[in-house]
Amino acid sequence: MSAAAEPTVAVGTGRDLLRRILGQPSAVLGGIIVLVIATIAILSPWIAPMDYRQTDMLAVWEPPGGDFLLGADQLGRDVLSRLIVGARVSLLVALSVLAIAVVAGTTLGMLAAWYGRWVDSVVMRTADITFAFPELIIAILVAAMLGPGLTSTIVALSLVSWPGIARLTRSLVLSIRQELYIEAALACGTPTRTILLRHCLPNIMPALIVRVSVGIGFVIMAEATLSFLGLGVQEPVPSWGGMIRDGLTALRTDPHMAFAASAALGLAIIGCNLLGDGLRDLLDPRLAAR
Amino acid sequence: MATFLLQRLAGLVGVLAVALVLTFVATRLVPGDPILVMLGDQSANLELADSLRAQYGLDRPLLEQFVAYLGEMASGRMGLSFRHPGVPVSEIIRDGLWISPLLAGGALLIGVPLGLGLGILAAMRQNTLFDTGVMLVLVAGLSVPNFALAALFVWLFSLQLGVLPVAGWRDPAHAVLPIVILAIPVAAYIARLARTFMLEVLQQDYLRTARAKGLPERLVILRHALRNVLVPILTVIGVILGGLITGTFVVETIFNIPGLGRIAIEAIFARDYPVTMGIVLMFTFLYAAINFVVDLLYVAIDPRIRTGAAR
Repeated sequence: MSAAAEPTVAVGTGRDLLRRILGQPSAVLGGIIVLVIATIAILSPWIAPMDYRQTDMLAVWEPPGGDFLLGADQLGRDVLSRLIVGARVSLLVALSVLAIAVVAGTTLGMLAAWYGRWVDSVVMRTADITFAFPELIIAILVAAMLGPGLTSTIVALSLVSWPGIARLTRSLVLSIRQELYIEAALACGTPTRTILLRHCLPNIMPALIVRVSVGIGFVIMAEATLSFLGLGVQEPVPSWGGMIRDGLTALRTDPHMAFAASAALGLAIIGCNLLGDGLRDLLDPRLAAR
Repeated sequence: MATFLLQRLAGLVGVLAVALVLTFVATRLVPGDPILVMLGDQSANLELADSLRAQYGLDRPLLEQFVAYLGEMASGRMGLSFRHPGVPVSEIIRDGLWISPLLAGGALLIGVPLGLGLGILAAMRQNTLFDTGVMLVLVAGLSVPNFALAALFVWLFSLQLGVLPVAGWRDPAHAVLPIVILAIPVAAYIARLARTFMLEVLQQDYLRTARAKGLPERLVILRHALRNVLVPILTVIGVILGGLITGTFVVETIFNIPGLGRIAIEAIFARDYPVTMGIVLMFTFLYAAINFVVDLLYVAIDPRIRTGAAR
């Protein structure tokens, strides 16, 4: 595949795209990691060797090996099973946050770009103000109001994530508004809703996909951080961040849980970042040139 | 220029106003009566309840409470703690006040030069083994969360090698691991950006001109390239700062350091809303103020913004 023959269009056919992805070893590696973790997350109820809630007071901090493949935690629960279910929790939070942020961000961004004037001002000033708060501070405010937990984690991270997507969507729609096909659609009397959904959205899709794929790692890391601080996912639901916190207390004698959870979390985020960077280079030739 | 400054200043004031309203509403929206919680097993003592309610101003209309709240914040006392009845918030957070900025400042002091150096060197040796190696380390440094890194570092340096203390806050040695752990993502983030910008700058005509006139390579990089790499890096200081705020919460939790972050976390779990919100306000103000200063610096360094040519 020669670089000179590359079309300037961001997306080709499905087969072409697949061929180009396979040309990037780090993206392939990231893709494999993400795929494996996603499979584990989806199949977690069937492949977890034990019940992740089952405590065993005789097995507290049991080292790896034997009945407990990766050892047991402070309540004698199976670390491997909790890691596997933790993958599901992690991905569930990440996908919910990104779904909410993308729907809210693209909708508001498109409306702001299309209608301009006060709609634009209201949306963009709200985005500016949200941006002006440190991420963790937003999470603390939400946790203080709703109480720490899965819901407030998703709410907080969605609040943090939508402004970036709204800004991106707005700038993209502003630039394609001038295109001939939009003018043609307007001349045909196409309703605004149809123009936005059928003409604008498909054209900004590649950039949105890049944005989301780069964002997954960030959201997973943010959820783990909140759970680590005790503001995120609460017991008995396992989360990698919470497992690292609990594991740290026994680092001197039984470091297996802190290490296992750290490895799982680090691997997941590295996989997401490699895949995200690879997709960005593929779908955004402007950035890839750098 | 003047409009740009006024806009930013208005933004700063707007953020503060929103933060003040939000923290006030959040404290009042909380379910349950803080006075009853404070009384504990004395909840039948109505007289005490009334006097506490009067002391905290919770018996007055909401609007009056808000005005009093603004006054408390302006005076720096920040209201009274729920967990320690009658104690001003300012007194509770006073000891932690300098710890978190110290940790964050130390991380910047190490992370920024290290990141710049690594990024620029990697760019100058693009596509060599050194470059690839640095890039791999950067991806890892950006991907592995600092608390996961802390688990490894504490285990290695404190428990196995025994060269650094495990946790606590007495000697300067206690600050080493926290600052290093905070500095790693900063360095990784900056190095990645510096490499990207440097690759761009290296292709510019003015560098060729500088070399053509016989300037030593060292001066070409230091005088012409570095300056142009620094400008875009300045814009991400806000992002880095946001990460550092989260980071101080994390390392203070791990290393048992009595800074603002740990005080805030403890206050959240103790439902001590005045303390939580006081710290929230402080961080928000600090964050907004530093971003404001960065905007000013940006204008001062890049003349294109001053004249509006870049917009």
